[in-house]
Amino acid sequence: MPYPTALAPTSRSFSAGDYPVKTFKSQSGAETRILYGSRRTNLKLSLTYENITDANAELFINHYDETQGTFASFDVASVSTNDGAKTGWQGNSTAIGATSSGNVYRYESAPELTQVRPGVSTVTVNLIGVL
Amino acid sequence: MTKVYTGRDGVMQLAGVTLAKVSSFSLQSDLETLETTTLGENIRSYSPGILGYSGSASLLYYKDGNNAINTANLLNKLIKTGTDGVSSSDTVELTFRWVDGTDNNDIKLTAYITSATMGASTGEIVSVSISFVGTGALTTATIS
Repeated sequence: MPYPTALAPTSRSFSAGDYPVKTFKSQSGAETRILYGSRRTNLKLSLTYENITDANAELFINHYDETQGTFASFDVASVSTNDGAKTGWQGNSTAIGATSSGNVYRYESAPELTQVRPGVSTVTVNLIGVL
Repeated sequence: MTKVYTGRDGVMQLAGVTLAKVSSFSLQSDLETLETTTLGENIRSYSPGILGYSGSASLLYYKDGNNAINTANLLNKLIKTGTDGVSSSDTVELTFRWVDGTDNNDIKLTAYITSATMGASTGEIVSVSISFVGTGALTTATIS
């Protein structure tokens, strides 16, 4: 079962990550930085799906189980797909995807499900882009 | 026959007994709405959430010929001695009625009294104001 891309989130936050840089500071305050890689990584994508049906909320739990939790990576909000996770984003489609920077998304933590009322739940999904 | 209801048609009951000297009451129902608007949409959409009831009433502080105070069983839910505070059994059965001859239009609910105000002012009649919040579903709703 793929990530439930048919659903559009009610809010989305994205952190662009960083290149693998190690910073050394001398006692004088001078800073030396060493770049260890050519690709930006550690992207963070947080998606919240408010007041969706329990059946739809269950899709995220099923997918989390399918990816064996935080183990397996998957494709979402990538360049080639036009999925719901990117709904409303009118900038360049590569900007918030992981694949353009050579990353793939995996779950950073378990999806958080909050029951709002009978049959209605809110789900928050935290993804991290890894190389 | 057509009818416009006035304050004269209003009755407030506590546990099925009409309260004396009620000067006003109001009942409000509120529906919580859950927003389902998603990114990419320009118009808000909602799903129905939790429905609830609340209201208030104002009564004259009145002692009848049997020395019974009309507001006693309302006020004693909040204004009482002891350290136990309010328990789950401190509910009241309130009925709000609009009378048209023998035809009663009733809203009945179980409620907690959430506030009670009383005082005394020179040259004024003492009145009691209460607020309540309904718990559970309406017992009766014959308003149509």
